[in-house]
Amino acid sequence: MQPANLPTIFSITEEEIDLNELLAQITLTSTGAAAIFTGLVRGETLRQGSAQTSGGDAHETEYLEYEAYIPMAEAKMKQVADEIRARWPTVEGIAVVQRIGRLYPKTPTVLIACTAAHRDTGVFEAARYGIDRLKEIVPIWKKEVSPDGQFWVEGDYTPKAGE
Amino acid sequence: MNRIKLLFFATLRDRAGTKSMELDVPEDMTVQGLKEKLAQEYPNLRESMKSVLITIDREYAFDEAVIPPNAEMAMFPPVSGG
Repeated sequence: MQPANLPTIFSITEEEIDLNELLAQITLTSTGAAAIFTGLVRGETLRQGSAQTSGGDAHETEYLEYEAYIPMAEAKMKQVADEIRARWPTVEGIAVVQRIGRLYPKTPTVLIACTAAHRDTGVFEAARYGIDRLKEIVPIWKKEVSPDGQFWVEGDYTPKAGE
Repeated sequence: MNRIKLLFFATLRDRAGTKSMELDVPEDMTVQGLKEKLAQEYPNLRESMKSVLITIDREYAFDEAVIPPNAEMAMFPPVSGG
């Protein structure tokens, strides 16, 4: 049985993501494992099949500009956390944080962290599920600015009724 | 008539030229009806109406849903966070 007050953090922020602080907030005395996913701004995207050393076929990103429908995004992040708890009852703490605003290459943009007593509790899968679901249902968008111009990145998921 | 607030994000905001608007819609208007009305009144939005996601009071809503009074609605493209 789960304690009633397991820590769940969800937020949209313009501040730098502080991994250590978030990890401390979702660590219980019974916690022995944390699975953390963070996404970063990729400055150079190599097209499939191009050799890393060739350097001729890379797409360059100057920065990404993120925006969110903040109150709905935070509600949907909470929903993602609830879905994680329903699937992996052994998960103890959950943090789901998205940074918005203008973010440059090498900058962490998103963080999903799940804690549990042990590593073999599904905690890796729980964090993976969290980032996948965030990319499906949480209303956040990014505009890419590159030397070739700027364009909105659009996802490919259409939420279903009840999502 | 029902007064509603409509928010636009990402490409929809660029095409609408505004972040939000207030408008009066008939009491029995559905999401589909609102899409048709906007496509008529704002030609820039017409193309977007095919793949747009729509929310009512911060939940995803679909074509047949009837718009409640004082709804906070939003229109945006498929999400791309992360």
